[in-house]
Amino acid sequence: MNDIVLEARDVTFGYVPDRPVVENWSAEFPAGTMTALTGPSGRGKSTLLYLLGLMLRPSAGQVFVSGRTCGDLSDTKRARLRAHSYGFVFQDSALDATRTVLDNVTETALYRGLPRSKVTSQAQELLERFGVDVPVLRKPGQVSGGQAQRIALCRALLNDPVIVLADEPTGNLDAGTAETVVAAMRERARAGAAVIVVTHSLDVATLCDREIRL
Amino acid sequence: MIPSVLREASASARSQPVASSITVLVLIAMIVAVMLTTGRTVGAEQQVLGSIDSVDTRSIKLRAEAGSGLTSSVLERLASIEGIEWAGGFSTAVDATNAAIPGGTRVPVRYFYGTHIERLGVPTDPAIPDTSAWASPAALEQLGLPDQSGGISLNTGDSFSLVGSMEVPDFLAGLEPVVLVPRQHSTGTESIGLLIVIAERPDLVAPVSAAVLSILDADDPSKINVQTSATLAQLRSLIEGQLGSFSRGLILALLALTGLLVAVLLYGLVMMRRKDFGRRRALGATRGLIIGLLLTQTALLAGIGIVIGIIASMIILLASGDPWPGAGFTTALATLALTTALTAALLPAIVASSREPIRELRVP
Repeated sequence: MNDIVLEARDVTFGYVPDRPVVENWSAEFPAGTMTALTGPSGRGKSTLLYLLGLMLRPSAGQVFVSGRTCGDLSDTKRARLRAHSYGFVFQDSALDATRTVLDNVTETALYRGLPRSKVTSQAQELLERFGVDVPVLRKPGQVSGGQAQRIALCRALLNDPVIVLADEPTGNLDAGTAETVVAAMRERARAGAAVIVVTHSLDVATLCDREIRL
Repeated sequence: MIPSVLREASASARSQPVASSITVLVLIAMIVAVMLTTGRTVGAEQQVLGSIDSVDTRSIKLRAEAGSGLTSSVLERLASIEGIEWAGGFSTAVDATNAAIPGGTRVPVRYFYGTHIERLGVPTDPAIPDTSAWASPAALEQLGLPDQSGGISLNTGDSFSLVGSMEVPDFLAGLEPVVLVPRQHSTGTESIGLLIVIAERPDLVAPVSAAVLSILDADDPSKINVQTSATLAQLRSLIEGQLGSFSRGLILALLALTGLLVAVLLYGLVMMRRKDFGRRRALGATRGLIIGLLLTQTALLAGIGIVIGIIASMIILLASGDPWPGAGFTTALATLALTTALTAALLPAIVASSREPIRELRVP
């Protein structure tokens, strides 16, 4: 059986007191598995993703990373854990428009305390592998939405993260780009990561190893 | 880690050229404004104070008439008084002429008692102690010794070899034309006609003068006339106090304005880029790192502004012929400007580090 990389146990969270968006929710995410989180809008899928990504603290319950509870970790330690173990793909790619494509892909090196030069070649390989055929010194505003999401994917995978969280990563993409993005995440899951994708797309959910409906 | 933070802060600054340029311009304007107002005042103040602080204004001159009983032994007692930079005793003048021109022009010769004769523009190690004399250019001309060597005969019958020229210090200007015979071996009984004491600082002139008078041990103190520059010392403290208070007020006002402008600029920048900071937090940047990045970015921009501001001020001051306020003032101003910019950047940096990823990154 695969190791449990990420686990939510009886997690409850609400933005307003006494109105939980997520209530007593539990799930395990083994290494090497790609999981789809699906369900209608407003059911707390993205909120769950941010709870699993240690960006929100549950009001009750615990999130475990590699078997260790994260409830007692300071904000700084949670940030470091995100930098070292997580890869994030956001709904709208969330690139820094003022920086170059290469700067965006290598951004997380700074948060992991690595010099940029150590990850530049890996960043260029990822860009090539995922078909980002634009000059690396170009700004994100000068590339298409599909290319931007591929760049965001390269940024998420640069770290070889053990956990990949994606929030509607194919929401604004054409079929070809969406297929590339999903394939890349499947590949990361096959390499041993726990990949969790929030999606409304049945096609994407079908390509995942399992689906959790909310 | 530090090079990476520097690189990232530098890249962030370059990626926001408008905000960065305005920040640099604010710092340049602040530095130039301070340098051309307070700096110029400080430069002028230093010139005035430097003039007041000159040796002549720190000197205490005691003229002893014949029969006063002031002797060279006073120099030993002066050694026990604090606040004295230099002291020397001069005998009353004795007329002398060029030994080769009997009946030539008479010039006054004085024996000198004391140490550190280099303060009189005389070499410290005379070739033949007690038998050599030095003369000022004016005295050499009157003696007819343009080659700065020759013999002089005193009307007391003594004669000395004149071996060189001396540069007359300001406090001896009143004795011109000057011919001195340094006496290294004093018995303490030689009569002193003029005692010159130089205080370490202008404000010490009055207390040192009082202390000197108390240890003169003269037979008839009423025959000793004291001349000091105590009034100048009072003027000095008055100038320093008034200019200092004006300068401080102006600098504080300009620093406060600069701090406010930098804070507003950075706060606006943070608000415009809140999504950027939310993304950084999501991807693993700690609050400390985000604060560090913004402060480093501010420090880099402030540093550029300060350097350009100082160079521009130097050029303007040089072109207008105004005095430079000095390295100490400039360094203090640069440090204050940098500290102000960093302090002003702290609140926006804390706001930036507190952006919640979910609030900034969720797409409705």
